[in-house]
Amino acid sequence: MGDEKRMGLAGTLMVTLVVFAVVLAAFYGLDHLIMSIQGLPLNMDLSPAG
Amino acid sequence: MSNDMSGRISWPAIFSGRLWTLLLVVMLTVAGAQTVAQAASHGMGSADSAEKRIAPVGRVQVEGQPLIEEAAAASAPEAPEPLAAPQPQRKDYPNIGVSSRAVVWIAAQMHLFFGALVLAVPLFVLVIELTGLVTKDERYDDMAHEFMKISLVGFSITAIFGGTLALALFLLYPDFMGYMMRVFGVQWLWYAALFFVESFFLYTYYYGWNALRYGNKKWVHLTLGLMLNAAGMTIMVLANSWATFMMAPSGVSETGVVTGSIWEIMKGPLWNPINLHRFIANIGFGGAVVGAYAAFKFLSTRDPKLRAHYDWMGYTSNFIAILAFLPLPFAGYWLMAEIYAYSQQMGITAMGGILAWLFIVQAVLIGTILLAGNFYLWSGMSRTEGSVRYQWMIKYIAVILVICFLTWMTPHTLILSAREISVLGGSHHHILGPLGIMPAKNIAVNLMLIVTFLSFQLYRRSDKVAVVPWASAANACMVAIYLVAIANIIFVGVYYGYFTNTVYKVGSSVIQVASTLVVIISGLVIDGFLYKGAKRLPSHWGQVSDRSQYALFALPIAFTWLMGLMGYVRSSVKTHWHVYTVMKDNSPDNFIPTIGYAGNMITLVTILFLLFVLFMFWIANLSSTRQTRPTTAEGGAVA
Repeated sequence: MGDEKRMGLAGTLMVTLVVFAVVLAAFYGLDHLIMSIQGLPLNMDLSPAG
Repeated sequence: MSNDMSGRISWPAIFSGRLWTLLLVVMLTVAGAQTVAQAASHGMGSADSAEKRIAPVGRVQVEGQPLIEEAAAASAPEAPEPLAAPQPQRKDYPNIGVSSRAVVWIAAQMHLFFGALVLAVPLFVLVIELTGLVTKDERYDDMAHEFMKISLVGFSITAIFGGTLALALFLLYPDFMGYMMRVFGVQWLWYAALFFVESFFLYTYYYGWNALRYGNKKWVHLTLGLMLNAAGMTIMVLANSWATFMMAPSGVSETGVVTGSIWEIMKGPLWNPINLHRFIANIGFGGAVVGAYAAFKFLSTRDPKLRAHYDWMGYTSNFIAILAFLPLPFAGYWLMAEIYAYSQQMGITAMGGILAWLFIVQAVLIGTILLAGNFYLWSGMSRTEGSVRYQWMIKYIAVILVICFLTWMTPHTLILSAREISVLGGSHHHILGPLGIMPAKNIAVNLMLIVTFLSFQLYRRSDKVAVVPWASAANACMVAIYLVAIANIIFVGVYYGYFTNTVYKVGSSVIQVASTLVVIISGLVIDGFLYKGAKRLPSHWGQVSDRSQYALFALPIAFTWLMGLMGYVRSSVKTHWHVYTVMKDNSPDNFIPTIGYAGNMITLVTILFLLFVLFMFWIANLSSTRQTRPTTAEGGAVA
């Protein structure tokens, strides 16, 4: 989906890594949140805690 | 007292006169004493007796007898028992020589198809009109007006089939309809009144379009459209309450005695899930039907200007249909979850019993809709040169769509002979078995929706170039959201679906839904900001392949068949009940029809609907056709 303005390789790599880390953390939190709302807690490794 | 003529007192006469006087006095005394005694016995001498002595107007009492109303109350039978639901026998159902259910099925389905269309079209017409007002682009206004023109005939057809359905129900199922009348009472009159309200706003909205086109008058017109939709939506939710009452009755006792208010009867456990599901589905369905109209007009003209107009109209219709369709499976999930919560038996009948195979057919139809919708978007990308940046992705999207489609339509249990079972080593194929259960299908459905949204997003981006400095970061974010969401859906589907207990399996499906929604919502939000003030690349409306237009025909056909199919499932889960667990169906048709029979019926109503839709298109076309003035030949004869 890339187009428009270009940044340097290092910058692109950094942005990509940071964005991926943030999105990954957000979905990890989403999984915990949704399961705990339903009364189905998860361990840190996402295995069932119940 | 009397004297004789001699002046002597006649004692007998005196005696006689005094005797009568005495008798009179005694009688009066006795009578007075008796009255006093009676009065005393009734407490007339007490302080609170006055109002009892003075009977209110209209209350008449005969001396020595109780008040008339008290007498009537004493002689009247006890208050009638509250009426339970009737339990008609086979003989109570009129026999007209053909299946009553088939007659009602056709009338009801046709009414619902057209009802869905005419409720949905004003909804998105209002949005398109508002878009035209905000963007000051009159093309939107003209297109919205044309959409209304198409659906106008649909209102009459809806009413005709509605009347036919009502007559058929009263004739063929009199006891059932009597009970429904009793339960919903005056609500029926409100329902009828709403048709007048809707008709008023429909005609003022449509015929007032050009009279209320600019300035403050435009807001008056938009308000008319809003009121039209409010009336239409109210009609829909009222009618939904009848269907959901039949599936999951509320506000009545176990025997069908009305125990609650009309509100308690209406707001059964399935009411809101059905309301939401039908609301979304109607919009998708309406978009698909008017898209077919645009395709029909596009293919029937060679005029580049008209082709450009109808190409744009078809694109907008497809946009509406697909965008409404994306959240529809989630509304379906909610409905099925509520059905299971209300009655596990009902849920199992739908998804684990005789009707389970219909969900395989459903998968085929939804797959058809998604493939057709995607194909149209890919074809439409050829309108702009900017699409070359994204066309390389189409083949990957197609591969994912096909793999997921095949997974979704994989049955869990095959119909096998004894020999085939022995060769297979069991009733489940060792590969197809795991793919036939819900975790695999949940993964497939969510991935299909995500890649369909990707097609949609790529299409929208094709004619734009972002100019904001943070475009690369936004794109990286969008790519990350897609990849992590897809990984999350597959991970939770496989891990919780196959390696944990059922409770976690069911709970994890909510994660999958949420992941898909995150992709869709974040995609719309990011693109909204990213392409604000973007550089526009030229789009060539009308320069699209004819093949793409056939995809627009495929959409309403698949939508119609799908609605017919799922309507059959929704109605059949009641099994042999008119009103589930309250009023038994003892008619000759009190069984779930076979899938083959149902398939034929659904095909029949789909074909009928499409024929009426063609008639609707023809009428819409006819209204804009003007006969050329005949030329006068020599001698005055008309050539």
